[in-house]
Amino acid sequence: MLMPPFTLHNPKTVEEACELAGMLLEKGEEFDWVAGGTDLLPNYKWHINPKPHVISLAKIDGTDTLSLHEIGCMARLVDLTTENGIHPLVVEAASKVASSLVRRNATIGGNLCLDTRCFWYNQGEDWRRSIDWCHKADCGTGADCRVIPNQNTLCVATYQGDIAPTLMVLDAEVHLIGPQGLRILPLAEFYQLDGMTKNVLKQGEFLLKITLSKESAKRTGTYQKLRVRDSWDFPEAGVAASWIEGDVSTLQIATTALESIPRCHPEEVAAILEDGWSGMDSVKALALSIRKAIKPVNNTSLPPRYRKSMVRVLTKRAVEKILEK
Amino acid sequence: MSGGYRQQPGGAGGTTRKDGKRVAGKQAFPPPGSGGSKPNMSPRDLDYIPESVGGKEPQPAGSHIHDRARTGTSVGKEMPLVDSNAKVTGQAWYGDDVRLPNEVIGKILRSPHHYARIKSIDTSRVEALPGVLAVATGADSPHRFGVLPVTKDEHAMAVEKVRHVGDLVACVAAIDESTALEALNLFDVEWEILEPVFDPKKGLEDSDEPIHWRGKYHLARTNVQKRVFQEFGDRSLVEKPHAQSHGKWKMAGVHHGFTEPHAVVAHWDPNGRLQLYTPQQVPHYTHRALSTVLDVPMHQINVIRTFVGGGFGGKSDPFPHEMCAAILSRKSGRPVRITFDREEVYWINRGRHPSHIEVKMTADEDARISGFDIDALIDGGGFASFGHVTSYYNGVLATAPYELGSFHYTGARVWTNKPASGAMRGHGAVNTRCAVEVGLDEMAETMQVDPIDLRLANLLPPHSRTISGFRITSNGMREALEKVREGSNWDEKFRQLPLGKGIGIGCGFFISGSGLPIHWDPNRFPHATVHMQVDMDGGVTVHTGAADIGQGSTTAVAQVVSEVLALPIEMIHVRSHESDTSPVDLGSYSSRVTFMNANAAIRAALEIRERLLNAAWDILGYHPDNLVMNDRRIYYKHDPAIGVSYLKALHKAQEDKGALISSGAYRSPPMGGVHKGAAAGLAPAYSFSSYVAEVDVDVETGMIKCTNVWAAHDCGKALNPLAVKGQIIGSCHMGLGQVLSEKMVYGRTGHLQNPNLLEYKIPSVYEMPHVEPIIIESCDPEGPFGAKEAGEGPLLPILPAVVNAVYDAIGIRLRDLPLTPDVVFKGIEKALKQSEYDDPTDLPSPRLTHSALQPKLVARANEHKIRDKARQRTEDTSPYVNGVLFGFDPNLPLEDQVEGWRTATEPDPEQLAELGLAGRAWLKKEQRQMGGEQ
Repeated sequence: MLMPPFTLHNPKTVEEACELAGMLLEKGEEFDWVAGGTDLLPNYKWHINPKPHVISLAKIDGTDTLSLHEIGCMARLVDLTTENGIHPLVVEAASKVASSLVRRNATIGGNLCLDTRCFWYNQGEDWRRSIDWCHKADCGTGADCRVIPNQNTLCVATYQGDIAPTLMVLDAEVHLIGPQGLRILPLAEFYQLDGMTKNVLKQGEFLLKITLSKESAKRTGTYQKLRVRDSWDFPEAGVAASWIEGDVSTLQIATTALESIPRCHPEEVAAILEDGWSGMDSVKALALSIRKAIKPVNNTSLPPRYRKSMVRVLTKRAVEKILEK
Repeated sequence: MSGGYRQQPGGAGGTTRKDGKRVAGKQAFPPPGSGGSKPNMSPRDLDYIPESVGGKEPQPAGSHIHDRARTGTSVGKEMPLVDSNAKVTGQAWYGDDVRLPNEVIGKILRSPHHYARIKSIDTSRVEALPGVLAVATGADSPHRFGVLPVTKDEHAMAVEKVRHVGDLVACVAAIDESTALEALNLFDVEWEILEPVFDPKKGLEDSDEPIHWRGKYHLARTNVQKRVFQEFGDRSLVEKPHAQSHGKWKMAGVHHGFTEPHAVVAHWDPNGRLQLYTPQQVPHYTHRALSTVLDVPMHQINVIRTFVGGGFGGKSDPFPHEMCAAILSRKSGRPVRITFDREEVYWINRGRHPSHIEVKMTADEDARISGFDIDALIDGGGFASFGHVTSYYNGVLATAPYELGSFHYTGARVWTNKPASGAMRGHGAVNTRCAVEVGLDEMAETMQVDPIDLRLANLLPPHSRTISGFRITSNGMREALEKVREGSNWDEKFRQLPLGKGIGIGCGFFISGSGLPIHWDPNRFPHATVHMQVDMDGGVTVHTGAADIGQGSTTAVAQVVSEVLALPIEMIHVRSHESDTSPVDLGSYSSRVTFMNANAAIRAALEIRERLLNAAWDILGYHPDNLVMNDRRIYYKHDPAIGVSYLKALHKAQEDKGALISSGAYRSPPMGGVHKGAAAGLAPAYSFSSYVAEVDVDVETGMIKCTNVWAAHDCGKALNPLAVKGQIIGSCHMGLGQVLSEKMVYGRTGHLQNPNLLEYKIPSVYEMPHVEPIIIESCDPEGPFGAKEAGEGPLLPILPAVVNAVYDAIGIRLRDLPLTPDVVFKGIEKALKQSEYDDPTDLPSPRLTHSALQPKLVARANEHKIRDKARQRTEDTSPYVNGVLFGFDPNLPLEDQVEGWRTATEPDPEQLAELGLAGRAWLKKEQRQMGGEQ
């Protein structure tokens, strides 16, 4: 495997990074951001949508801040699993990401902006040529999607990050910065369908940091992850739940690894709460309605029907677990 | 000076003058001379010298022919492998570590189509690319090759058709990798797409364009590569069964998952000889195939086996990329290196066959196993590879360790447009073994007896013959079962654990070396040869062609030589890398290496030993019968002071001829039946194993976690217990992968969806249970110091042990491997639907109340235990053949005693209608019988 050639840029400040991005945009040159590289570089080695320029965030000072209320984009996952003061729910999710080896390089920013995955897409070049490419990496052919055939408008690649749903149920906000300045929005609004769009980041923009309000610090929660090998697999389904202890009306649920974006499920929770909370029966009803709300497709290692069934189990376990605490 | 007898040759006096100068003609051989790091002889290690020759090593299984060669030096001791330093310091040179001056990079153009005819290949644009040094296509290599002489169906590159995605089409050598990659895009190939076949069931049907054509032997127009029918015994016994089990299995294909991808470097040296560096398990086959493909005599080729970063059967075929490198190097005049990406490793495959297996079995009212009826349809992919053998192994390796009333097997291997299946650890035996052992569990359940007792009451004894005619010598099956039962606390747990927790048993039986060397008559050329050379310095150089693929064959050879000559292991130097210096050896497959190679090495060492003892006789005046060899010294057995150092004896022995040279060989004894296919599965010895596995099953998610394994394996004699334990634990890991998570996934378009180590899910150390390796030593009469294989057999029992444990945990029989959580969940959902429960946590756990058969089985097992002990120690030398349990006389041919006792290799016409899935291949006729090609 040979990495395709690219020019690596190492800006020292956020401003320099934005300026560089602006400049490349102006010239019409394509580029990718890279943080830890654990997602991007394997894809590059497979020649999946490589760009001629890569801007690294690694040399920018002050992007690896770590506290209860603020996590910089370059904070390494390994630090999220060991540093004190981080929200325990984030710690729980971070320690379930990939393997300890990957966590040493991987960053929170990269994890939130993880490229969506699909077994028609995450393959070597020869392999993808043998299926005549796919919509997400069509190599200029306008190829169809291989999961939902006969169309090339929607990409259903799956978002398989672990931390996003936990930050969602903690009401985290993300700070996005680019040549046009800074904007702050709830993480729940950060993700955007489809599997190619992935999120609201505009060209030249990158995720600078995540902030958690004082309110969120009061929340407790859990993250349930489904995978074949606990040692390092991507989630096949993931459910995060949190509440402010004792107050069931504050319950929040988010799911991941089931669709092209992670999702918060306020409507489903609200519907159950509307009927009045009745302990385990409500938990079961909620689990069922979350199961109904998600639509996994056949592009990860476990079949979608099974993953859908498991959402019910994971939701049940997550809610039971926080209620028990 | 104290602590024993010094080993340095010569004395201090007499060789130097007082002024320190040398006395003319009196100089002893230069130091250090004695070898080893300790100046003094260590005492004899009686704990490692067998009782039969006066030591203290217990021999419950009896004495052995090699006992007299034991010196207590190395055999039976835990030793790190001799190449471990190179490996742990990163200095071992694997395929891709070879760097030759001026080397260039080769890349392979692979088929993007499942099945297509190549109408034309235009290479002009490739050749025009600056930096490209050579281009080759199928036209450069018209000669066929293949690992088995009967099924040579491969070319270096596709000659007429490509047969799977990833099949080799052409290759190119360029000054660097990026140029070579760029060049691949410049080939202009014109294709004619053909209709592919993916489902092996479809492979049984006639096709417009069979994947290969075998001329007059081709079976109609199907894609059947090989069909097998075997029937032995009295089939009337199965007609009115007391208990039975019937299971249809679907097993996914699995890959070896070795760490090192294939890599090769080819170089035509200035004399025009090919030097080929490759991580091969069987360098000799590559050697032969290169000679054929390149049209060069074998003596003009030197195959250099690099360190092998794992093989497990996946590096035992001669490979097309090895031919490509040689062709490109010949064309370019430069050394050419080809290293695979992981997906290329999966495309060349040779992993375990995806299989459809159906097993029916019956037992009579005494819980004797009256019949096994096995049908195996195996998916061979695009090429034959070892498939001819696999087709037999899927049946015949199930004929032991149990005594059977009858045995019926139909097997078929079909070509499909997928990467070729081949040999993988436990070759051909693993899938059927799993199905059979689970069947036994199910029969035990119907008869309400303990499955361990059912097995113990139906075992073939040591020194017996199986229903198919295999000669069993040593047999530690009974002890293995007893040990795991005790170790796991089975009697307290089986059918008594709560829902979600289970315990299960599984056994295994495997060949220790194949009785038939594929390429020659075993009566005319040995299986293995070892050359030995001892020069002035006392170091022993051993030349062998045995390919160490990490299993420790080099260490085993060094150990047995060290043992016979009573020399520290660091004085033994094994040279096994080059075909120029190695004697011909069949390499590492069918678990033959330690058995055959160490036997050959012992013979060569015994010859050296005799010469050393004769020399000591000359010096000391004591006959060799009265001399002891121990740690670099030979001495009179009643007085160690009367002795001579090893070096002195050696130099005496060398007086007239210089270095001592010897050669030893191993040939298997004549054995086996005469029916068609009788040679398949024949081995000079067989290993036996038994595992108990404990699992936790999450009934809501279907997730299985294997927590504990008690793993007993009969390896005859553990030459190196450390290595044996490593093999047991490693086998357990590999088998767990197959039963729980590993599978080659072919999607709806026929593409292999997971050709990478993220999605092909090999368990990590985190998923590993605690494994308690238990070594059983049955002391094989023909094995080196009693040893048998330990590299493959230990894989077999883990699969059924886990499947049976899952049943014990949740009461559901699953027959779709691997047992990924979705498969288990589906089983649970189905069970819930058929029950009165909604919640899986309410499911009942299976329980056992013994029937009246149970005490009968225990009594029979106890009787057999006494029988087996006497036979194992050869206190009872009466013949025993499969059938005695059913009341037959072993001294008369069974055919003469039982009406209808069959040994058939073709079905009777009236049987045709009732044959299983694979058996349907027998409905077809060969071309020559159809009046087609003659």
